[in-house]
Amino acid sequence: MLAVQILIDGFAISALYALGALGFTLIFGVSGVLNLAHGAILVTSAMVAWYVGTDSGGGAFTGAAAGVAAGVVTAFVTYGLVVRPIQRSKAIPGVERELFVLTGTLLWGVMIQILLADVFTTTPITVEQLVSGTIDIFGVRTAANEVFIAVVSWAVLGLLWLLVNRTPAGRRLLAASINPRALTLVGVELDHVHLLAWGIYGVIAGIAGVLLGSFLGTSSAYIPALTGTAFAIVVLGGLGSVSGTVIAAYVVGYLETLTAYLVSPSWRAVPALILLLAVLYFRPQGILGRR
Amino acid sequence: MKKQLIIAALVLVVVGLVPLTSVSDYITGVLTMVCFYAVFAMSWDLLFGYAGEVNFGPSFLIGVGAYGAGLADADLGLPVAVCIAIGTLAAVLAGLLLAIPALRLRGPYFGLITLVAVLLLQDMIEIFADTTGGEIGLSVPDVLAVSAAVNFYYAFGLMVIAGAILLAVANSPFGLILQAAGQDPVEAQALGFNIVKFKVVAFAISAFFSGLAGAMLVFYLGTASVSAMVDVAVGIQVIIAAVLGGRRTIIGPVLGAAFLVGAGELLRPVGQMSGFIVAALALGVILLVPDGLLGALRGRLRA
Amino acid sequence: MSVTLDLSPSSEAPAPMAAVLEVRGLTKRYGGLVAAKNVSFDVRAGEILGLIGPNGSGKSTVMKLIMGIEKPNAGEVRLNGVNLAGKPAYKIARAGIGIVFQHSRPLHRQTVLQNILLGLLPDRLLAWRAGPEEIVRAKAIAERVGLGAVLDRLPATLPFADLRRMELAKAIARNPQVVLVDEPFAGLTGGEVKDFSDLIVSFRDEGRAVLLVDHNVKSVAAMVDRVLALYLGETIAEGSAAEVMCNETVRRVYLGGGISTHERPEAVFAHTEPVLQVENLSVFYGKAQALDSVNLFLHPGEFVSVVGLNGAGKTTLFNAISGLVPFAGKINWQGAPLAGKSAARIARDGLVQCPETRELFGEMTVAENIALGGQHLPKAERTTRRDWLFSLFPILEARAGQISRTLSGGEQQMLAIARALMMKPKLLILDEPTLGLAPVILGQLSDAMKLLRDQTDITILLGEQNVTFALPNADRVYVLEHARIVWEGSPSRFAKEMASGYL
Repeated sequence: MLAVQILIDGFAISALYALGALGFTLIFGVSGVLNLAHGAILVTSAMVAWYVGTDSGGGAFTGAAAGVAAGVVTAFVTYGLVVRPIQRSKAIPGVERELFVLTGTLLWGVMIQILLADVFTTTPITVEQLVSGTIDIFGVRTAANEVFIAVVSWAVLGLLWLLVNRTPAGRRLLAASINPRALTLVGVELDHVHLLAWGIYGVIAGIAGVLLGSFLGTSSAYIPALTGTAFAIVVLGGLGSVSGTVIAAYVVGYLETLTAYLVSPSWRAVPALILLLAVLYFRPQGILGRR
Repeated sequence: MKKQLIIAALVLVVVGLVPLTSVSDYITGVLTMVCFYAVFAMSWDLLFGYAGEVNFGPSFLIGVGAYGAGLADADLGLPVAVCIAIGTLAAVLAGLLLAIPALRLRGPYFGLITLVAVLLLQDMIEIFADTTGGEIGLSVPDVLAVSAAVNFYYAFGLMVIAGAILLAVANSPFGLILQAAGQDPVEAQALGFNIVKFKVVAFAISAFFSGLAGAMLVFYLGTASVSAMVDVAVGIQVIIAAVLGGRRTIIGPVLGAAFLVGAGELLRPVGQMSGFIVAALALGVILLVPDGLLGALRGRLRA
Repeated sequence: MSVTLDLSPSSEAPAPMAAVLEVRGLTKRYGGLVAAKNVSFDVRAGEILGLIGPNGSGKSTVMKLIMGIEKPNAGEVRLNGVNLAGKPAYKIARAGIGIVFQHSRPLHRQTVLQNILLGLLPDRLLAWRAGPEEIVRAKAIAERVGLGAVLDRLPATLPFADLRRMELAKAIARNPQVVLVDEPFAGLTGGEVKDFSDLIVSFRDEGRAVLLVDHNVKSVAAMVDRVLALYLGETIAEGSAAEVMCNETVRRVYLGGGISTHERPEAVFAHTEPVLQVENLSVFYGKAQALDSVNLFLHPGEFVSVVGLNGAGKTTLFNAISGLVPFAGKINWQGAPLAGKSAARIARDGLVQCPETRELFGEMTVAENIALGGQHLPKAERTTRRDWLFSLFPILEARAGQISRTLSGGEQQMLAIARALMMKPKLLILDEPTLGLAPVILGQLSDAMKLLRDQTDITILLGEQNVTFALPNADRVYVLEHARIVWEGSPSRFAKEMASGYL
């Protein structure tokens, strides 16, 4: 049944997109940075997972763990080597600082893309699935991996929610996204909060990257489109709104799945991009954004 | 300023005479690409350095100009000059369609729209591969010229004229108002300027020259292809050239383009890692010498 | 509509004519906060109307609404009968209104001449070259405001007063009928204040309508023709400067009634080591000197008030002590120098600030804000302390689950103080807590201050321009004026010698 298949596939890919975009939103909310190297972090995690798991024969679980670790490392390097120095540079006039951070992360993403292409070539590879086999859902034979991906994505989203709302460290992250100056006044070092944010971002992006790699395959050539999709989802949902991001991820995920099934796979990304343009024209604050 | 212009003019004369000497066609070809990239980078600088808006997809304008001209030639068989005009017009119109709504908004929206536009164009070209040639590219039957030297002079002429016009615009009252709009939009408005109007016109100028250069590039290379004109990577090269050379100088991006193309050629033995090295250099410039080569030089001269 | 005028001020001021600027029912809300409520007034050509009020009274909001930088929720702004309310700022500027912002906004990459020229250029796209007449006019305007000698300099090289002159020049470049001037004298020396006053008076003498905003009636009394007093966004008095200064409501709101003093005898503190010692403190913001060789000290448990007007330097002083701005000089806290410590570390060490802007976590509830203040405490202590604070400020307990952004001004201030107290401060800095608060709340706050002074050993440093609030609980008073400490002594002595200067 095509409808059920679309429903299931759409759900899985949307959950994955939500996970990917959420990291992007987190960093924007806490650090104020739109990280244009986002796609590069996702793909790096996938590539390392494949290299350790498949290419070197380490097995799917070791590979996945290595992939997530790679995501964390790449996120920290992005923060320490690119974002923080630009934010603190005295040579850059204040009004241009944001522009430079954007351009800096863009260049850094390109560097990673070329490096990955050089080491792994641009041929798409697939990360070994952690769960294999098929499951029957309402008469549709679905890859168990797909179900696994949806479950893991939502589990991570849930954990993140718990972290932010129920732990002291998470409350500090939330506070930093509301009023960083106030957080300093109550005695919290913002540097520590930023490090935590980028660390969590690395974990989330790592998991998203590895899962994406097992579901859709991965290649350095996918990097610009992945960054574009995350950026688009976050703006669609409303800059700074977490629930907006999740809702927008589902809108984009289902749009893509519907298009791939009902029109053609090569048209997959188009409707979402056009929707984004339309939203930017008519309601730039997005679905749940404040203005 | 006058002294710098004289030096620039002298350098231009020298470079202009190079193809007439006994250098190989290869060198002339490299210089031709420098000219094209110089125009792309100067156009980008008008937006970034003056209006304070980052265009993440300059290759959108270049691509529309290129494919517009290429399709006009391959499908309609129009004369080269007309095709180039069509390509340029297409770039300006397509650009304005995107830019006018985006430039009204404060925030990263303009940058996002430009990035999305490139991705969309790339998708469209691949989807309609029958017409556009898809990944393989679109061959055009005509070329600007057969001789390497003549091709160079077309590109060189474009660069000099574009440079002169952009320089004049940047130093005119229009340029002053544009800079105010970029530095302090509230102040610019309180002084009585409709800053959206100025930003849109600046974008149109940028689109004009990018599209024109893109259209001419098709008739130099003989094909319109995604990898040479539309790919996000092409746009990033343009950004690197402008940033390396020195933003807000117009002349700086020319130096940046020369460096970019030159380094790319010199680093050819390294393969695709040459792109990595150049990007790393640009990142280093942003971190350490944000004013770029020319900006740092000017600062040194002033001090 | 354009007024062709000689640029040189005429010697005889023409009699005020019909109203050029008519403001009716101007209202602006920011969420739950009403910044301006039904404000109405006229400004006639050839007169200066002074708009006065303390911080938070809505003066700057009214200016921004007139200039189109913010859009009003209701009301009209008529220039020569044409309603401009809600129009974009550039259209209002073109219609004939110029503004001198409170904080200078030069274009840093352009010379003085270019900055002023910008104010003269037409909003036309096809301007390839600035006409020679425009350059001549720009130079003339520069001469008039006193910048004739620095035309080719960049703003970064100019002294503070010259940057302010440039703002005046830009405002009149387009020959506006109406000039809005926002707090022109902040940060200027006595001599500079005189020059600026003369310039502003000359604008009036040319027939322009001038709206002058300031927080202190005395400093503008000599210049203005009429005064409008605002408080909490509403008009409370209107008339000549003398009339307004005598007005009952104005006196009550500014002075809050009488001054009472209850200082503890000097002997209580005489033999204790200062817990905070500030020596030769100077702070520069670019060109502007915000603090000049300030010396100050606090004994443990003492309650010290720093009295000063807007722009005197109180906030800068507190920010330097809290580690939020770089400074030259020495600050010792509990015997050890503060320099080099991060602001968060200083707060954790017991030096806590409750800033002027309160800095609440707007989207979080009252309880969440308080919890964040107590995050460094063990759980049991956190609960005890919170209960104590709820007994101090019962309204917060009642509103514990409410989003703090939606609280009233007084409740927000109490929350800010409560959050600061959650941190177990040894020294509590309070920066203008009475900002924008109704008189009824001030009484509650003052009682809370008294309680803190008498029942805890917290050292308190209070910065205020409201003398009635600053004095009753203080043991000692410093007066900060134009970046310098100009007076120090007991509150009773202050009441005798200095108080009259603070309306």
